[in-house]
Amino acid sequence: MRPEGTRVYLGEEARRREALLGALARLFDEAGYAPVEVPALEAQDPAHPLYARAFKLVDKTGEVLMLRSEFTTALAKALLAEGRARREGRYRYAGRLWLREATAEVGRLREFTQVGVELVGVSSPEADAELLALAYRALEAAGVGRAVIEVGLPSFVHDLLEAARLPAEDCEALRRAVDRKAVPELADLLDRFGVTGRVRQAILALPDLYGGPEVLAEAERVALSERAKLDLAWLAEVRRRVSEVPMIFDFGMARRFDYYTGLTFRAYTPDFGLPLLGGGRYDGGLLPFAAGFALGLERLMEAAA
Amino acid sequence: MKLTVALPKGRLFEASHKALRAAGLELPTIAGERELWARGDATDLILLRNGDVPVYVELGIADLGVVGKDNLEESGRDLYEPVDLGFGACRLSLIRRPGDAGPIRRVASKYPGITERWLRARGLAADVIKLHGNVELAAVTGLADAVVDVVETGTTLRKAGLEEREVILRSTARLVVNKTALKLKAERLRPLIARLRQAAKSARS
Repeated sequence: MRPEGTRVYLGEEARRREALLGALARLFDEAGYAPVEVPALEAQDPAHPLYARAFKLVDKTGEVLMLRSEFTTALAKALLAEGRARREGRYRYAGRLWLREATAEVGRLREFTQVGVELVGVSSPEADAELLALAYRALEAAGVGRAVIEVGLPSFVHDLLEAARLPAEDCEALRRAVDRKAVPELADLLDRFGVTGRVRQAILALPDLYGGPEVLAEAERVALSERAKLDLAWLAEVRRRVSEVPMIFDFGMARRFDYYTGLTFRAYTPDFGLPLLGGGRYDGGLLPFAAGFALGLERLMEAAA
Repeated sequence: MKLTVALPKGRLFEASHKALRAAGLELPTIAGERELWARGDATDLILLRNGDVPVYVELGIADLGVVGKDNLEESGRDLYEPVDLGFGACRLSLIRRPGDAGPIRRVASKYPGITERWLRARGLAADVIKLHGNVELAAVTGLADAVVDVVETGTTLRKAGLEEREVILRSTARLVVNKTALKLKAERLRPLIARLRQAAKSARS
């Protein structure tokens, strides 16, 4: 019996997967990204963003190992160990990942393949623009039509929730309501936690801060922290450099397990319900300066079919 | 830009259909409860069991839908839920036989997910049995020493000689929207959400 959430690829499908992996490898290679391979076995690490969802194995010494569940963390650890964390570098990877997630649905396997890049050692709007443009070209290479890239700034939600000065548990309840755009719950929670005035108004505005360039002006009114304002200026500079990429925005994106510190992005295509790509900047999180993105091979195949 | 709407059959259907139409969404007409789907010029409609709405919307088969908060919480699906439509109010409660005060060892429910989360939050170790209907019978017959079930008016409970002990969740109908659809079909969805919020607000005041 084959374990749940795993698949065999044969014939035409296997060929198409190989061709797509090849096309993406060439695209990233031509853009100056060098190949990297990292082990599939990792030491157990409770600080890992996917620690709870990763497969665990027992080593011969009795110590617990984790099966690789994500490339960014694995690559960052490898670069730190090799003393390359501060040096400018362009890396690309492709390979299998595993998660214990119980349900296997469209593009949601327990053993799946990701292809991605990391741009390490630099932090600038220019670097982010390079990645956004490359992400868009990757979607074109994969044959995904009419893709749109959505950009978010985690500092928006984070700094506003911090400004409310609430205990961690209440903050988490607010974050969840913002992320689900559950405005009625959000209003109730703010009442219950006694959040008032400008902070309340700004938090309530977050779920609806999405759309085209018109939300940027609105976002500027809502940005209370210095960092959020700087991030907006940074984003404006990125946009100026990649005018060819169709871009939308959502400043109410507030995922939970994130190492991202700067601009984050996803890609959507009409008539496919799930995002095709995800990435962002994570300066100071795993590495001093770094940003990258990853594409899910199975989802890409599904969306391009 | 075509939209696909998933509506729940049963007690939420009429009110959902009416609320969406009143907010300006043109919905194809449905001949009767046995119809499964209907095509329209601008909007397609699919009819589902209440608990099946979240998965259709999360995976983008439907762009939006209406579902009770109870079923939404139970599903654990990753969706936007921008509007509390206000109707279909009910509560999920812990129900026991009058006088039962012993520890809870076995709980029966149509909502095993919510029940388990509630038990864990309370630090209670009890088995959860998933049932598909007439849940109160589990308490009456002794299959379980407590049940978690929907209470609307409490009449059914009283008739069965049971007692509502604690409200676990208050539920109303929610508008749910697929994450991609909200962004790529914002032109149609944003104004719809605004009108539904306005209508829900004036209904409350």
